[in-house]
Order: sequence, then structure tokens, then C-alpha cells
Amino acid sequence: MRRGLRRAVAATAAGLAGLSLAACAPGGDAGSANHTSCTNEITKPDATRVTLWAWYPAVEQIVDTFNAQHDDVQICWTNAGQGADEYGKFSTALEAGTGAPDVIQLESEILPTYTILDGLADLAPYGAGDLEDQFPAGAWSDVSSGDSVFAVPVDGGPVGMLYRADIFSEYGVAPPTTWDEFAQAAQDLRDAGYDGYITNYATNGGAFNYALFAQAGWAPFAYDPARRDQIGIDVDTPEARQVLSYWEDLIDRGLVASDDAFTSDYNTSLVDGTYAVYIAAAWGPGYLEGLSDADSGAEWKAAPLPQWDPANPVQVNQGGSALAVTSQATDPEAAATVAMELFDDEETWKIGVEDAGLFPLWNLALDAPWFTDRRYPFFGGQQVNRDVFLDAAAQYPGFTFSPFQVYAYDRQTMALYDMVEGDSTAADALATIQDSLVRYAEQQGFTVR
Amino acid sequence: MTTQHLARRPRQRRIGSHLFLLLAVLYFVVPLWWLVVGSTKSNSGLFVGSGGALWFNDEFALWDNVKQLFTYQGGIYWTWMRNSFVYAIVGGVGSTVLAVLAGYALAKYRFRGRNLYFSLLLGSVMVPLTALTIPTFVLLSQLGMINTMWAVILPSLLSPIGVYLVRVYAVDAIPDEMLDAGRVDGAGELRLFFRVALPLLRPAFVTVLLLTTVATWNNFFLPLAVLRDPQLLPVTVGINQWQTLSNAGAGGEQVWNLITTGALVSILPLIVAFLALQKYWQGGLSLGSIK
Amino acid sequence: MASTTTKPAPAPARAASPRGGQSLLDTKRQWWGWLFLAPFTIVFVLFLLVPLAYAFWLSLHTKGIATGGESVFTGVANYVRVFTDADFLSGMARVGKFVLVMVPVQIGLAVAIALVLDTLATRLSKASRLLVFVPYAIPAVIGALMWGFLYSPRFGPANDIFGIFGLDAPEFLSRDLIFGSLVNIVTWQWAGYYMIIVYAALRAIDPSVYEAARLDGAGNRAIAFRIKIPMIASSMVMIVVFALIGTLQFFTEPTVLRSVAQGAIPTTYTPNMYAYSMAFSYSQFNYASTIAFALGILVFIGSYVFLYATRKQSGLK
Repeated sequence: MRRGLRRAVAATAAGLAGLSLAACAPGGDAGSANHTSCTNEITKPDATRVTLWAWYPAVEQIVDTFNAQHDDVQICWTNAGQGADEYGKFSTALEAGTGAPDVIQLESEILPTYTILDGLADLAPYGAGDLEDQFPAGAWSDVSSGDSVFAVPVDGGPVGMLYRADIFSEYGVAPPTTWDEFAQAAQDLRDAGYDGYITNYATNGGAFNYALFAQAGWAPFAYDPARRDQIGIDVDTPEARQVLSYWEDLIDRGLVASDDAFTSDYNTSLVDGTYAVYIAAAWGPGYLEGLSDADSGAEWKAAPLPQWDPANPVQVNQGGSALAVTSQATDPEAAATVAMELFDDEETWKIGVEDAGLFPLWNLALDAPWFTDRRYPFFGGQQVNRDVFLDAAAQYPGFTFSPFQVYAYDRQTMALYDMVEGDSTAADALATIQDSLVRYAEQQGFTVR
Repeated sequence: MTTQHLARRPRQRRIGSHLFLLLAVLYFVVPLWWLVVGSTKSNSGLFVGSGGALWFNDEFALWDNVKQLFTYQGGIYWTWMRNSFVYAIVGGVGSTVLAVLAGYALAKYRFRGRNLYFSLLLGSVMVPLTALTIPTFVLLSQLGMINTMWAVILPSLLSPIGVYLVRVYAVDAIPDEMLDAGRVDGAGELRLFFRVALPLLRPAFVTVLLLTTVATWNNFFLPLAVLRDPQLLPVTVGINQWQTLSNAGAGGEQVWNLITTGALVSILPLIVAFLALQKYWQGGLSLGSIK
Repeated sequence: MASTTTKPAPAPARAASPRGGQSLLDTKRQWWGWLFLAPFTIVFVLFLLVPLAYAFWLSLHTKGIATGGESVFTGVANYVRVFTDADFLSGMARVGKFVLVMVPVQIGLAVAIALVLDTLATRLSKASRLLVFVPYAIPAVIGALMWGFLYSPRFGPANDIFGIFGLDAPEFLSRDLIFGSLVNIVTWQWAGYYMIIVYAALRAIDPSVYEAARLDGAGNRAIAFRIKIPMIASSMVMIVVFALIGTLQFFTEPTVLRSVAQGAIPTTYTPNMYAYSMAFSYSQFNYASTIAFALGILVFIGSYVFLYATRKQSGLK
């Protein structure tokens, strides 16, 4: 009997050893979570290592450049996804207390969501405050609050109207400059025989829908990170109703599509003539260029976003990104260096603009002639920055997002979808969103004004 | 009279049954066919191709696609496949060993708390995955195992259904008399297990092995939650990641051709395994139903 | 060569015990029982019981975003919130609907195919057995991905196929049809698996039973419904329970399909999805655990009721 027991123990031990060999051998560093393998190659293994999550493919080149130029700090980059995917991982890492990178690329809309959880380090002590003049005012206001600086802006998404000049000229319609003209143009295109839609109003557009509302003067959230338990929620306003009813009307008349954005169907519709207009941020052309099966005769041009009141134009932003240092950074100073210096180089921006189609928020790049006068082949040589986006970026006043932005976007998607399905009106949709956000905020312990 | 009866019926039935079967097979096979055809198309060929959705295009891009699978992102696809193999085999073998031991114990040993244990086991099948994932994630983080292979393997060792199947089978398949006889002859419990019980349990062993290996190979939710490093992902999460990237489209990351080809390649090992081991599982899956 | 033993075998010398009942041998055997059970138990405790207990603990606390991340004990408040949460209740109603539709469809198809295969012995039937089972080998993620493509109004074959009949393809990913589309995906994936189980059970029936029935003049259909199905009732109950539990916990297919149907499949589509997004999208781990537990309770009740109602067929006590 005793021999049997001994044999049993030996067998178990051997089994476990075998298991661990099998699991450890193939490159699984069974140790701490911070020793992730990097997608890029690190040539100076003794330098301080800073982990970075960023989703632009061009980042790899930019990181290599940075690593070559710095001896004391090396960046270890991985792509942890974009948008909600990356935010989910970051949130769980914060909750678990480990697993977050040192530096993270995020959109400025999500900053309040993380500052309220104390997930991001204040960069002001590392001299970030001195960078204020290097960025447009609106962009800077999105990443800072009072004396605190939570992220360094990288690229922006000033919104313009990209349109198919060939379709408009084929049907003899002039590109619109106001929303009234836009609605008229939609009807004119249809009457002239165009069987596509003037554009698509995606219910899951998130920041896209926000930008369109904001253009009418919508300011849904009043939130100050310094007084974190107070929030003002004013989603259901006359401005919002004006904008949403406008789109509801166009959708009901069959002039505007309501397909979900970011699917392969949608991507193809963008480039094959199903939509004549793509209301897009400055990163839109880069997005379009990557899509296949474009119409061969397509002629894209960029124009400023149509306005509600041509006498008082309002510029808006959709997306873009910034670099923040997380609260789990092992060496916050090195991480801050990375965040502040990764994109403060003109050569880097040449890569960013030419390879990734990004729109820099760094003034030195924004003002550089090679950028302002750049002729974009995608637009047939049009100087789109000069024509559209530089103005939009300069006049963008900033926007206040909520500290539960993912939730807010999801409720918006649900309510807008109900509306386009005909189950509710624009007013109902906005009231529903308002309701659910107020209830959620109260559950979370906010005092709602 | 009877023979005439029988002779007439079967032919009619045969055609009807065969037609039904054919339709059923078509239903189950068409998506797979689509996948095979899709793997031969290039990225844009998938969307605008001469063959339509269900037939080949003029250009045959399968080898190009496979080559691209090797090189895209530094050949990470093959790392994913290797990971899937490791997880599936280690997880499958590990959980089967545990399940066989436990099932045997529950079937052949009378001890206090046995029935309670068994009820607890059955109840555990009803626990929603989401209830477990969050705390498992926190637990693994505390142990410093997040983002390692262990984070996937250890939870995969749990197979309550496996224990159930083995127990149900062992109760009938291993006669108590044989065990008692062995004991009388002076055999130790361990020897009894290896010499007597295990050979008799082989069908159950193979069935549970197949079930758990399939389950671990197909595992999606767990690796998605506990793994960050792209080098550690199994192929299911990896391909899903590619799909998310392709949908988001920022900066030209559309790799639909790799998604279809990658999906096709990823299901081949399991299909081959099923074909090769037909005689085992076709008999074995009846186990649970006998009792 | 085994000698037949009747009662407690004349134990080897070692085992003499003064106490009535528990012999030393029995105790030692008890220990062996627990030893064999030990490895599984360790994993069971670590990865099921402990997380479950922790999840329960989480569900009894609340951590508001605005209150500085302090966990506060709130007792059953979260559960009250869940059972009055419109999203949770509509999600439960929806999976209830799925149960009523998806389970009969899957199992009905599985049984039909199994019955047909049981009566045929041609090569087609052998091949069919395998082909019908293959979708089970495909990860749900990849299956949903494939169907996402097939359902695509632009890239799927639907337009071509329906075009043959001069009809417009239905919009599979619209809100009206997404229910059916999901039923289809799951049926496609799982019917084969259930079919094999039913088929194996059918094969285990002694053919002489059919002979007797045929002599009495019973046709194939009568044999199928009056003899075969009742004889495999216990297998049927087992697979229905598994299908029931799986459907109530519906998660993977809608989540994957969501990437092409964000409007039609909101994050609250099923309770499991709701719990997942609460945890991993909104960082609401307490409430997410509550949702998961509430779902678990309802699943347990549902399974229990079903097993009770079918206790005669399943042979359980």
C-alpha cells in the first residue's frame, strides 16, 4: 500500500513537471505580467523599458526611430486593439491592479472615464504644462483640466465633408455648404436618377454622432475632474432635437442610409458609389485608401462641413488620439518622456502623415509648409489641409465628455437604432438617452445637476 | 403478403429519406464550402469576384494566401496555431486525467460526502461562464499568472461533464467483483486502477479526451479575457482580432483573405482528428445516455 | 481468475477491526477514494468554488465611479436592481424565446436525421453522419464569422440564390430577422452533435423489438414514434437539459455576430452579454457578478423544473 502511495505522488509530481515544461518551453514567460514580448525589436536591452499600447500600424516605424535616437529609454510596443477593445483591456487591468502598459494611446473622449478611476498619471509634474503652446487650443483643452495634464495630443480628427465630385457632376448637383443645401442636394440627386444615398447616418457612430450634434451647439456634459462627484447631463436639448430630427427626416425619405458603420458592407459602400458623401474626420482619407474595390472613376474632393448658420460656423472633431501615462507605470518619469517626445519630431510626422494618413495636432507640423500645402493624391492633388482641415482644427473649441463614455455611446446606439427602425421619434430617442444616463449617473453616486 | 409489403415500402422511403439527408448534408456543408472557396480568393476578390459568393474566381489565390499567412505580422498565425495545439493537448489530456480519476473514485468508492459531491458537480454545469470569468481573472492576476499560458491551461483542466461521463460509464463497465477479487489477491488500489479499471474505461477516456480537447481548442471567451500578449493567443482569439482590425479599417489593415484562409487552416486539425478517430467517438458519445 | 465473493470478503489478516461496521479496509479505501478525487477537487475548488464565492461577495457590494472607488456593502440591493432592470428582464425574455424556438429546432432536426440514418445503411448515410457532425468541430467564433459573411447583403450568396427565384434576399442582419439568423447559426453548429448522441442511443436498441412491431403491421413511422423515441427518452432528456442550459446562457454567437450587426444586437441582447459588457466595457464588476448570479439562479430553477417534469422519462429518482 505504501509503495502505491509513493508511486501516486511520484506520478503526480512527474505529471506536473511535464505540464510545466510543456507550458514554459514555447516562449510563454510564465513570470510577471509586465514582461510582455514586444512587437518591435529592442536593440538596447539595458535601457529602461517603457511599454506602450498603440494601434496605428505606423507606430512601429515611429517607435523604431525613437528607440534608435534614445539610449536611456526603449519603447516596447504592442497593439492592444482600438477603441472599446483596448479600453476594455485597460479597464480590467486597472481593476486587477496589474497588466496595464506604462504608456497608452487613447482617444481624448475616454480620458474622463479613466481620470475618475485615477488610472492616469498627471503629467504636469513632468513638465507637460510647458507643451501647451505646441497644440491648438481645442485639442489642449481636451487633454487638460486646470493645471493638470492627463495626456499629450497626438493626432486629431477635424471633421469635413468628403464627397464624390464625379457623382455630383454627373447628376448636375452642386456640393452643399449648409445643411439646408445638403437636404436639397440629397433630393436633387435622387430626382436626377442617382440610386445611392447622399450619405450614411450610422447609429453606431459614437463620436461621429456627437460631432454632428456638437456642431449645433450641443454640450451634453458638464464635468470637472476636480469635482468628481458632480455631473451635469443635458442630452435632450433643442439643438440635439434639431439635428436628430433633420437626420430622421432624411432617413425617412430614403435619402440617407442608416447602415452600421465599421463593417465590411459599410466599407465597400463608402468607396463604390453607394454613398456620395462621407462626412469624415481628417483621418478618413487614410481609411478610404485602405479599402478595396473602389470605383475606378471615383473623384474625391474635400470641402468644409456644411453649417447650420453660415454666419457663425462651428467646427467639430471626431476621434484622433493622445498618449497618456498610466497609474501602473513602473517608471513614470521615463513613461512621461515617451508620451511627451514620441511625436515631437518633424521626421516622425512625415511618416505619420504620409504613411498613416494622420492629421497632426502638433503646431510645428501643422504650420509646416510641407503639411499645409500638401497635395493629396487621393483627392486628385487637392490641398485638403489648406482647404478644409487646418481651419477646422484651429477653430475646434474642445468638447467635454462624460466619465462613463462607453456606456453613453452604447445607450446612444440603442436609442438611435430604435429611431431609424421606426420604433420611436427623435425626441423619444433623446429623452431615452437622457433618462438612462441620469439613472446610471445616480447609481454611480454622482450628484446630477 | 408480408414480403410484398416490405418490398414496396422501402423503395419509396429510400428516395424520400435520401432526399432529406441530402438536403441536410447540403445545409451543413454549404458554409464550409464557402470557406474553402473563400480561401482561394484574394482580399478584394472576396468582395468583387467573378465567381460570386459560392464559386471560385478566375484567379486562384490560395497559395498566395497561405504564403501571406506565414509572413503577416511576422508569422504570428503559426504561433497562434501552436498555442492552440498546446492549450488543447495539455488542457485536454490534463482534464481527462483528472476527470477519469475523479469519475472512477465517485463510481467505485464509497465514502462520506460522495453524493453531495456529485450533486455539487452537476450543479456546477449550470454556472454561467461570466460569473466565473471576472473573479478568475482577478484570482489569476493576484497569482501573477495573467497573460501567461497557465491562465488558459489551468481553468481548462476543469471538466465536470467529463467526470459525469466517466462515472456513469464506470459504474457499469467496471464490475465491483473484479475489484474486490483483485483486492483479495493483494493488489494495491493504484495497481487496481491501472491494471483493471483503466483498460475497461478506455472508451470513456477517449470520449472525454475528445470532448475536452475540442472544447479547449474552441475556447474563446477565457483566452480573450486573460491574455494580452498577441504571442500567447490561440487561433480563435487571433482570428477574431484580425476581424476586429479589418472592420475598424484604420490605416489599411483589411485582411479578409487571411481571415478566411486562417479560419480554414485552423479547423483542419480537428476535422482530421475526427475523421481518424471516428470509431471511438461514434460509439463513445452514447455513454451519457445509457444510464 | 476471480473468485466470486458474496458479502464482505474474508479480509486479509491486516484488516481486523474491533468496531462493528467500519473496517480498517473501508477507511483506507475511503482515503483512496478521496486521493483519486483530489486533483480534480483542487482545480474544482480553485477555479470554480473560489471564483464563485468571490463573485457572490462582489455581488453584495457596490463601487460607484463617483465615490472614489470604495467598495460598500449593499446586501441584496444589487439583486433588487437586477430583477427590476428592464435590460436584464428583456434579455431573459429573449433567451426564453430562444429556448422555446432553438431547442426544439436543434433537437428536432437532430432526431429526424438520426432516425433517417438509423433506417439507412448506404454510403451516403455513413458520409452524412460525419458531415453533419463536422460543424461541431468548428469554433463558435469561426462559425459566427462565416455566417456573418454569408448573411451579408452584399457579399453573401443570398442575393444570388434568391435572385434565381426572382426574389429579394431577406435582410438577415436586420432586427426583425436577427433572431432567426441566430437560431440558424446555433442549429447548424449543434444539431450534428445532438444527432450523434441520439443516433448512438438508437443503435443500442435491440432490433428484435422492431421485428415484433413489424409483424404486428407497424410501418416505419409508427415504429419511429411509438418505439424508438420512447426508448431513447433518457438520452433525449439529457441533451434537452444541456441545450436548455446552453441557450439560457447564450453568449458567443451573438457577441461575434454583433460585429456586423451592432444595431440589431445591442450589448444587452442576452443576460450573459449584459453581464460581460457591464464588467469588461463599463468596469462594473459588482453589478456584472450580480447579473451572472441572477442568471445562474434562473438557469438552475429552469433546469430543475424541467428535470422534475420529465423525471419519468429520464429515469431519475
